Amino acid sequence: MLIRAFETRLMARPDHGFQLYSSGEEAVAVGVASAMRTGDRLLSGGRSIGAALACGLDSGQVMAELLGRIAGPNRGRAGRGHLSQPESGFFGAHAVVAGNLTIAAGAALACQRAGEGGVVFAIFGDGACGAGALHETLNVASLWKLPLVLVCSNNGLSISTPVSSGVAADPLSSLAGPFGIAHATVDGMDVEAVAAAASGFAADARSGGGPALLECRAERFTSHSSSTRETRPAEQVTAIRERCPIAHLSAELLRGAVLDETALAALEAETEAEIDRAIAFAEASPMPPAEEALHDVV
Amino acid sequence: MSSESGAGHVRLFFREAIARALAEEMERDQRLLVLGQDVGSFGGAYKEFAGLHDRFGPERMRDTPVAEAAMVGLGVGAAAMGHRTLVGITYMDFMTLGLDPLVNYAAKARFKTAGRITVPLVVKTTAGAKGQGVAHSQCLESWLMGVPGLKVVAPSDPASAYGLLKSALREDGPVVFIDHKRLFPKSGEVPSTECFAPIGKAQLLREGSDVTIVTHGYMVHVAMEAARELEKAGVDAEVIDLRSLAPLDMDTVAASVGKTGVLATLEEGQVTCGVGSEVAFRVMERLGPVPAVRVGPLPAPVSSNPVLEAECLPDAGRLVDAVRRILSQAKPKGTA
Repeated sequence: MLIRAFETRLMARPDHGFQLYSSGEEAVAVGVASAMRTGDRLLSGGRSIGAALACGLDSGQVMAELLGRIAGPNRGRAGRGHLSQPESGFFGAHAVVAGNLTIAAGAALACQRAGEGGVVFAIFGDGACGAGALHETLNVASLWKLPLVLVCSNNGLSISTPVSSGVAADPLSSLAGPFGIAHATVDGMDVEAVAAAASGFAADARSGGGPALLECRAERFTSHSSSTRETRPAEQVTAIRERCPIAHLSAELLRGAVLDETALAALEAETEAEIDRAIAFAEASPMPPAEEALHDVV
Repeated sequence: MSSESGAGHVRLFFREAIARALAEEMERDQRLLVLGQDVGSFGGAYKEFAGLHDRFGPERMRDTPVAEAAMVGLGVGAAAMGHRTLVGITYMDFMTLGLDPLVNYAAKARFKTAGRITVPLVVKTTAGAKGQGVAHSQCLESWLMGVPGLKVVAPSDPASAYGLLKSALREDGPVVFIDHKRLFPKSGEVPSTECFAPIGKAQLLREGSDVTIVTHGYMVHVAMEAARELEKAGVDAEVIDLRSLAPLDMDTVAASVGKTGVLATLEEGQVTCGVGSEVAFRVMERLGPVPAVRVGPLPAPVSSNPVLEAECLPDAGRLVDAVRRILSQAKPKGTA
């Protein structure tokens, strides 16, 4: 709910910058983050807003980073493509498709060496599944039993290319099979399904059982990026948006009497208020001084 | 094998200098990992890791699949988590497969995270031709010199290999350490006690007054041979071993060219956008126009055919000819 509200308000701004939105795919990030413990790490691709907020990063700091302000965790240098706050478990975004996978495996190797039970999660898109880096990562992660949970948020489209034209394997999770890696495909619009699968795989990885590949079938509610034209017909996008993971969970919670309408409305109001505070925080922070272009280079 | 040679030095083969530097650093930093193909019990393609597997075990001297993208990425990821790593890429040609995590992640990590993540990684690789053909011979170091956030070093003898590798393994950020196939048969004096070769500092190997020859890696030996030839012809050449390609020690180079007034560069990699081009342009930015010549291989792939390989590679004769040509074209010194 926070991710959706955050992105909706960001999109509405004329100075939103270049963004890849997570709207529609929130349940993947939230479900995976729910499986994380202190000491675990999450790496994402460039579609990072959902992952960062799900890891508990302060929404004001994230907004500041995305708007290029120095109050961002990376002083506005990284943007959504490279946002990170390692001490919060969000080891970072890396906007090279499949580029975060081998690095996640290296982080998992460090966790294994440290012997403290840390697990590394990597979220990537279906577009990464045709890349050699995934296959190299699966191979070495299996050989070395790395504590690595690979999570494919399969939104069905790599910019405009359908997954059926980009990856020969179906389902995508079956890519892990030949490597002897545990794998599953779940409904990525159902946060409880994602959370249950991610937690199970994380528990196995934590206890030395090795890596896993979790495919989450999700939907992208917007075009690939804030500057990419939408290739799907409007009626298809409308139909997709009907399958909202937040509405789905809200309905479940109301049906189970975990929440009532009043509590839900209060939650929505509190979320909007948080975004108000986030935007105010970001706007109060300046852009970096130009000389920071040379800071922290070597 | 190594032998004591007095005066606080020990004579080591090139490979032994590398193994010694690594052993000392692995002893000091219990987290330090080595990843690569055949770095374990096999001891490395040139035995440069010999003995380390027995001493530090297979977990730390870790054989990898033949998958350079994953090898570099694993090293980058582990290093970014605080576990310093050396990744061995057997031949520099194969660095092309692992450039993404090195160039797009490791070199940028410190900047893009505003210092929250650093990547204490050394990628050690072996460049140069020795009969193995078009995809096992290349010297691609100039490709890496223009990547902000990367340091690049190239030893020319056992002492610089030891000292530069020690320094590289103490850096906060990624360093590419480039040795050379034809350096491995060489031996040389290395200080008996621990020492470091500073990154960013060139070494003046031979003083001279007529021309400055700037080179690095194995070509240092070719340059010294050429300097001896030139001496017979009455030309007094100064020879500088760059050692560090990024950053470049332009103070040392410019001081020398300021003295000799003529620059010759020598490299085994292509001269187009090469190390010599960069050195020459920076010299002229400091000193103004200077007679200069670049010497390198032919603009062709390096064949495994011995006739074609020898024809392609630069040698002392080619450097001598180039220096004599540039000197004959340059105005005599002191006659402005």
